[in-house]
Amino acid sequence: MPGKRILLVDDDEVFVEAVRAVLETRYAVETAPNGTEALRRVREDPPDLVILDVMMDHLSEGFDVARELRRDEKTRGIPIIMLTGVDQVYNVRMEVEEDWVPCEKYLEKPIAPQELLEHVAEVIG
Amino acid sequence: MTLHEERFSYIFAPELYERLRWFVRLRWWAALGLVATSLFGPALGLPGAWPALGVVGGFVCAYNVFFRVALGRREGHPGGLRGLRACALRQMVMDLAALLVTVHFTGGMLSPLLPFFTIHMALGTIMIATRTMHVLATVTAAGLLGEYLGEASGWLAFHGIHPEVTECGRACDLHLVAITVAMFGIIYLTDSVTSRFKRRNIELHHAKRELEEQAARLRRALEDIRRVEDRKSHYMRISAHQLRSPLGTIRTTLRVLLDGYVDPASDKGRKFLEGAVERVDELLAIVGDLLELAKVREGLDRAPWTRNVNLNQLLADIFDSLEPAAEGKQVRLVPDFEGVAVLEHGIPPDLVYAFENLVDNAIKYSEPGGEVVVELRLVDGRARVRVKDRGIGIPEEMLEDVFLEFVRAPNAKRFTREGTGLGLSIVKEVIEAHGGKIWAERREGGGTVVTVELPLRGDPRPRSREGNGGVTPEELPS
Repeated sequence: MPGKRILLVDDDEVFVEAVRAVLETRYAVETAPNGTEALRRVREDPPDLVILDVMMDHLSEGFDVARELRRDEKTRGIPIIMLTGVDQVYNVRMEVEEDWVPCEKYLEKPIAPQELLEHVAEVIG
Repeated sequence: MTLHEERFSYIFAPELYERLRWFVRLRWWAALGLVATSLFGPALGLPGAWPALGVVGGFVCAYNVFFRVALGRREGHPGGLRGLRACALRQMVMDLAALLVTVHFTGGMLSPLLPFFTIHMALGTIMIATRTMHVLATVTAAGLLGEYLGEASGWLAFHGIHPEVTECGRACDLHLVAITVAMFGIIYLTDSVTSRFKRRNIELHHAKRELEEQAARLRRALEDIRRVEDRKSHYMRISAHQLRSPLGTIRTTLRVLLDGYVDPASDKGRKFLEGAVERVDELLAIVGDLLELAKVREGLDRAPWTRNVNLNQLLADIFDSLEPAAEGKQVRLVPDFEGVAVLEHGIPPDLVYAFENLVDNAIKYSEPGGEVVVELRLVDGRARVRVKDRGIGIPEEMLEDVFLEFVRAPNAKRFTREGTGLGLSIVKEVIEAHGGKIWAERREGGGTVVTVELPLRGDPRPRSREGNGGVTPEELPS
């Protein structure tokens, strides 16, 4: 029975299912299709890690969710991995460096399954 | 050739103002010289009416203060050439009068200050109209003649500045003639030189202005080019991103299958493959719309397709083709046509694409049981088509943006993933290429109204690709 829980937030359900299949080999995976749903779930039952897509309904919805999580006392400690399209990496890096979006890692999409597992393991073991 | 300087007041007035200021500065030195001579003349043991020179120096100082104040008032707004020239004339008259008096007290026609008349004539010719200077020179010559005759007849006292010279002799006749000729000569020479400079000045000024205008035009053109380039680059980037996104999903899905996380032969594996195919279809739809957009934007090759288009018929055909989709969603299609709208120059396939897209959107974003009304009216030589639905609506702040490439309202994205975000951009291009307008509004009571207005007459204008940042198929990233 996998111990740690991951909330995977992405609006592309095909991508979500593929990543879920990978993560489920080691962790319990829950999913949310947008930022609002993600925030609701995190507040209801905080997971051990949140993996956030940057661009969902809104251009920077992932950023907004990350900021919101870090603002809230109860969710501040939850590690976050941002997933971005390759052309957004620069923007994300800028925002992370400017300390606007505190997150543990930002990874480029698409990502090799094994690589993703390694990154997740680095963050939550 | 006479130079009408008044016509070029904007060039000469500021320059004359500066020269007058300089003239005033110079005069302080003249006044100082007179006062100094008055003080130190007796110490040198020379005869002469030294105290009188001091008085003249004081007088020069006094009127110079007056001119300094008058010019100070014009600071920043020198005014027209006429006013400034009047000011220059007043200064010149005062100076010549002061000089006449000074000459009288320093030896009359033997005065060492006689050459200063020529200097004044030269300066005057630069600042004042040459005709006026001729008059001034004549009056000055008459003044000198009067002075000479007065001194020669003994009516005026002779104030020599050399101890051995006590009266003005025969040489004075020649001095008088020489100074008069010199004054007119210097006016002629100065005029011939300065008028040439003034003409060059006008030419230079105009050339400068023309250059500045050209530079401004070039700057604007460059800005336009930069804007178009930025827009193109933005468009390419966003297109690439839109293509990359489904590609990323396809790659991840296939990698998961290939790496053995899911058995491709299992039901789950099959579902994954179907998902990948779904994303491939999405890619094809985007590529198709990108090509369509490029085609509409190019415009030129569409001209031979132009013909009379009966909008009533075109809309009725669209109703027929979309009826199954509407039925499938249990949405009622309601035509509401008044009058017959025939566009003189329409491009049927483009118009079909545009209106099909609008009606299809209305159906797609309607809830089952809803209805889509397509209203057609003739208004002031234009056909007005309104597609009204009771669907999910467009957020107020997105009403304009939904016509931009790859922009979809968040609620639309949530409602259905289907849609490239390019449809309305293409529709807008088509309508504008027909000389028309399109806009979206929120409908009272919920839903959306998209209004299209098309002129019944008028050519579909060929769209320049630069105008909207469109790219041709060859320019798309391969």
